[in-house]
Amino acid sequence: MVSKVVKVTNEQGLHMRPATVFSAAVTPFDSDVKILFNGNQYDGKSVMMLMAACIKCGAEIEIQADGPDEEAALAKAVELVESGLGD
Amino acid sequence: MYKGIEASRGIGIGSICLITEHDLSFDSKPVADKDAEKARFNDAIEKFKAETAEMAENIRKNIGPKEAEIMEGHLAMIADPTMAGEMTKMIEAGQCAEAAVTAVCDMFIGMFSKMEDDMMRQRASDISDIKISLLKILLGVEDVDISKVAPGTVLVAHDLTPSMTSQIVKENVVGIITEVGGKTSHSAILARALEIPAVLSIPNICEIVKDKDTAIVDGTEGDVYINPDGDVISQYVIKREEFIRAQAELKNFVGKATLTADGKEVELFCNIGTPKDAKKAIECDGEGIGLFRSEFLFMDKPHLPTEDEQFEAYKEAVETMSGKTVIIRTLDIGGDKEIPYMNLEKEENPFLGYRAVRYCLANTDIYKTQLRGILRASAFGTVKIMVPLVTCVDEIRAVKALVEECKMELTNEGISFDPSIQVGCMIETAAASLIADMLAKEADFFSIGTNDLTQYTMSVDRGNAKVAYLYSAFQPAVLRSIKNIIAAANEAGIPVGMCGEAAADPLMIPLLISFGLDEYSVNPVLVLTARAIISKWSKADADALAEKVLSLSTEKEIVELLKASAK
Repeated sequence: MVSKVVKVTNEQGLHMRPATVFSAAVTPFDSDVKILFNGNQYDGKSVMMLMAACIKCGAEIEIQADGPDEEAALAKAVELVESGLGD
Repeated sequence: MYKGIEASRGIGIGSICLITEHDLSFDSKPVADKDAEKARFNDAIEKFKAETAEMAENIRKNIGPKEAEIMEGHLAMIADPTMAGEMTKMIEAGQCAEAAVTAVCDMFIGMFSKMEDDMMRQRASDISDIKISLLKILLGVEDVDISKVAPGTVLVAHDLTPSMTSQIVKENVVGIITEVGGKTSHSAILARALEIPAVLSIPNICEIVKDKDTAIVDGTEGDVYINPDGDVISQYVIKREEFIRAQAELKNFVGKATLTADGKEVELFCNIGTPKDAKKAIECDGEGIGLFRSEFLFMDKPHLPTEDEQFEAYKEAVETMSGKTVIIRTLDIGGDKEIPYMNLEKEENPFLGYRAVRYCLANTDIYKTQLRGILRASAFGTVKIMVPLVTCVDEIRAVKALVEECKMELTNEGISFDPSIQVGCMIETAAASLIADMLAKEADFFSIGTNDLTQYTMSVDRGNAKVAYLYSAFQPAVLRSIKNIIAAANEAGIPVGMCGEAAADPLMIPLLISFGLDEYSVNPVLVLTARAIISKWSKADADALAEKVLSLSTEKEIVELLKASAK
């Protein structure tokens, strides 16, 4: 299992569109991708759970990837969040 | 007459098509053949996806890509493993498809509707929309085909879901009435995009009306009439014509310079309260920002905004305006506004007390942080500094000295800024008006704040209903004051603008043209209206009217004359 803490920089946080972008990008990986925020765990491949996490701009989240392609999955996820999720 | 929320402007008169709510109740007893039930569920999901994709396509073609995102969002949600996945699990556990859809959707609706964030709460209505669509498919309920309604139809529904809206044929639907929804709901956004008059949130309207009733929808005022008599109809037919004509006329002013009837160009700017509003100013064809209120930076946070935070906010507005002027008003607060961390004492007379520039000059550390933020943003466009509540020359001199200090610091730190940034006075007190000629020698520009100027000149609190009748910019005292301020600026050769509500008032505009105002700063939505009115007046016509107005001694006579002379 690998993980990294990143800061959410896009203005409106993880609302509909960024959440869709994120889940669509990590879904093809075989590894499980989870987001840890505020003491809770959320499935990174689920738009609904990502939105339900109510992650705002400026929040620090921990991304965890666990599985055969965990390094690549984590790198992709981190890159996306750091680049503002296409917002 | 029924009153609702005005969600999309214009007048619609037509015959009602009532979209009734379907009975979506079902028998939730466990199913025996789980595989058959799963197949039925999967078919419903596939049908839902196909229908939704078609609607998204329709909306994209007929309304726009941004509006289509709502339907695309529905597709993303149903594709989510926790949606269809959870539903499938419940079916495998023996539940019927309807019960599984309801349980999972209701779980998410409950979760999202509790959130503080407005955008997230909106997701609850998306999921509710998905739930209803899925149940209709599963129960085999057919909807009224909105795309087939006759020309001249007023749609009445409990709520207008995006799926309904996507079927609307703009030419056939003249109005929309619903029982729920606000100005920012999907139905409101889509109605505005389609330019169909809409009034939302009229309780029980679906029970009040029946199919084929005649309805008037006044989406400008939020009024609805059901089966009105002939007089009301003919009145609204005229109103509708006027609205259509005015809209068409306004469109002619998009992208044009703001010119008086005799061809003198003036500037037409916008008043904004946040950096995002700058986009609105651009969309509404504003030529610059005449008043950027900086208070939002101080009110939205539990602590003083840092220099960087301020810089980023100012820069965002400045970059949005790409080179066009942005006039930033420095902190305008006092004892009447609650900013907990500033420890401002409650005062007996907050409007006459420790506020605005008075507070800033006594707290130079706070003020310099703001001035440095503004100066840094000035490197990215055309920025001007406006000082509120000036009453004497010393204040503007003190502010200019602080600006120079900040410039020196920035130069030493190697940070870029606009070295020739202008510093102007907001003229909004009787004192500033009386010494306008002296201030004009110190300030680079004036901007008249008519709201406060009226309050201070008339010594009237407009929030006090007993005296509010005195609050009018058309009082002779206020008009003389405005004339005097503009004359002093013209004399000194500095630009003078107006950023109060009066700058967009059709009755005030001819007087401002006569007095020689250079810049009008208005609410973004009023840009085209103001440009149209300015275009109707020549200096000569405006002068003739102003001369008569200034000879009148009561506000009532003045307003009557201005109304009678309106073009």
